[in-house]
Amino acid sequence: MIRQRRDRVSALVLAAPLLIFLSTLVVWPIYLGIKTSLSRDLLSEFEITAAGLDNFRAIIAAPDFWSALRFTILFAIVVTVVEGLLGFALALIFDRKFPGKRTLFSMVLIPIMIAPSLMAVMYRLILNENIGVIPGFLQKFGWDISIFDQRYVFFTLVALDAIQYTSFAFLLVYAALQNIPQEIYESAAIDGARYRQVIWRITLPILKPALAIIAMLRLIDSFRTFDTIYILTGGGPGISTQTIGIYIYKTAFITGDFGLASAASVTLVLLLAPLMPKIIKQFRLDIK
Amino acid sequence: MRLRKLFTAAIAASALVAGMAIAPAYAATEVKMILWPGPEGEAMQKVVDAYNAGQGKKDGVVVKQVLLSRDNTFAKEAALMKSKSSEYDIYFTASYLVGQHAPYLSELKGINDKLYLKASIDGLKVNKKQMALPLDTSLHFMYYRTDLVSSLSSAANTAKYKQISKTVLGKELSPNTNPETWSWDDALATAAFFTQKYNPDSPTKYGYALPAKNLLYNTMIWNDVLWGLGGNWYKNGKPNLNTASGKAAIDIYRTIYTKELTSPESSQWEYAETNAALTSGNAMMALQWNAAYSELSKTGSTSGKVGIAAPPGKGQRTHVHALAVGLNKYSKNQAAAAKWMKYLATIPAMEDYAAAGGVPSMPKILTTMVSTNASFANIITYAGKYGYSESAGAREFDIYAKLAEVLSPAWVGQKTADEVASAADAALKSLRK
Repeated sequence: MIRQRRDRVSALVLAAPLLIFLSTLVVWPIYLGIKTSLSRDLLSEFEITAAGLDNFRAIIAAPDFWSALRFTILFAIVVTVVEGLLGFALALIFDRKFPGKRTLFSMVLIPIMIAPSLMAVMYRLILNENIGVIPGFLQKFGWDISIFDQRYVFFTLVALDAIQYTSFAFLLVYAALQNIPQEIYESAAIDGARYRQVIWRITLPILKPALAIIAMLRLIDSFRTFDTIYILTGGGPGISTQTIGIYIYKTAFITGDFGLASAASVTLVLLLAPLMPKIIKQFRLDIK
Repeated sequence: MRLRKLFTAAIAASALVAGMAIAPAYAATEVKMILWPGPEGEAMQKVVDAYNAGQGKKDGVVVKQVLLSRDNTFAKEAALMKSKSSEYDIYFTASYLVGQHAPYLSELKGINDKLYLKASIDGLKVNKKQMALPLDTSLHFMYYRTDLVSSLSSAANTAKYKQISKTVLGKELSPNTNPETWSWDDALATAAFFTQKYNPDSPTKYGYALPAKNLLYNTMIWNDVLWGLGGNWYKNGKPNLNTASGKAAIDIYRTIYTKELTSPESSQWEYAETNAALTSGNAMMALQWNAAYSELSKTGSTSGKVGIAAPPGKGQRTHVHALAVGLNKYSKNQAAAAKWMKYLATIPAMEDYAAAGGVPSMPKILTTMVSTNASFANIITYAGKYGYSESAGAREFDIYAKLAEVLSPAWVGQKTADEVASAADAALKSLRK
């Protein structure tokens, strides 16, 4: 009995740092966020007053919020698919032996090590029609293109995201490929399986859990996309490239409406939370 | 001997006690001030250093300047203000933001208004109270290539100009080689003449560099077009963009973009890209911030060939704002911070600021420094003659941002002026509440 109590006390003492950490950095901010979402909290007004559900009503009626949500979902799905496919293809290439593999491997990983905001500033310079290295190079071959032309801006943003994050997908797929026993491939070769059949029937099914994790992580991460798009397009023209992150940031820090911005954040969580168990089930992630 | 030792020890002990008592009176109070990096922050550091080495010692104040990021200074300040933080004693602000910041700032008293450009000092008053002290004054110039404008007067070019203006604008116009008197028709016709799509002999690919990104600072530039055509955000307290002048101002930007007088990627352009278009020789003219002059006058294709004119229009107008500093209402060092602000409002302090690259809002200093920057003369003239500030109160900053969002699709031809003008009025109405 005494021992059981001692164990419980010890467990509490050991867990205390984590509990304090979670309370101060997770639970408390969530509480403040919810409280702010129920308040009229404008930077231009000194007093904070209770607003009930007014901010939530305003968010639900705001076309900009839904437009930003639609763009974010579309962007997240497209970049996840593109990066997953490219990462998988790259991993297959690097799964073979070829000269210069180590150097190339390191080079492929460089983009993911750079801060997205820094990448965006770099893109603004190197892709600029007037002073950019890449348009300048293309112009020498008679290809006069404005990369940030509004007609191509969605594809430009997808391509730039893919440059940065394909290496993430590549790295996970490559690691998973290394765990596939060589004997399976040898048996397939003895049975006369072609390369395409091996990929389709052996590699892909074995890699399914890894691909599911990549898809989930990239979906979550690209849903939070903010810095690159904010620096490159500011969400425009108009709100055509505005992500939900940009919408919330602008509402809070430019419009100075913290109540509305918090309501948008809470609404987003409420919209996404029911999807999480389904996503986990869909990807058959074994979470115990 | 013993008595002597005792006497010495007594004096030493007294001195120590006295020293301990007096020491706090000499301990300098640290005043923390936020500014943003770039020319303003660099120039201000020289003023801070001079103060700390001189007047600051007499005042018992040491100033520490903290530079936040250029892009997000105001966002970080918003978080500090809303949490009623006393971490910083002096906030960086601007005339377009002071209405939003005013609840968190202390009123400044004893400022000599006469030392400053009227538009700059008045723009920092909220309900007739001076809430911030002006630093740099910003306004807009129409920058153009002097060598190209002067080439318009030849007979061959005149004929071609008439034909191009007829094609692009539907009006046969004659060249106007004095940009100071340009209407927007003159500016657009000249831009078309120097666009290779219409004139393959043009040395520039595009006639105009249009900063059309969804960015509130781009709305400030577009606002010159609106005011130049006699428009305004509000008339008698009611939104005023869904009007002939409002739609005409939107259509001028739309014409520049859809007629391809500017690069297609200018839908994502702001200050830096506009400068790059001019200095690279790709564009011939742009309405741009006065701060660009030092770069344009010394760099690339515009070096030694950049002219300055007032923004075109029926009656030329230029937006004027002042960057400024204000005293944090929650500062625990109000008295010390006020001493530093008092110093900052003096001519010697602002002379140091100007010498280090700042553009102070004091006409007397700008006049004496025209030899170092020719655009200073234009700043004084244009701010006085054509300057305006919106003075839309606490939500001015939000309005600029919202208008950028609502109007930018029309600037780049995605929507028509009719489609966005009513949405702009609705936004103005909701933000005026």
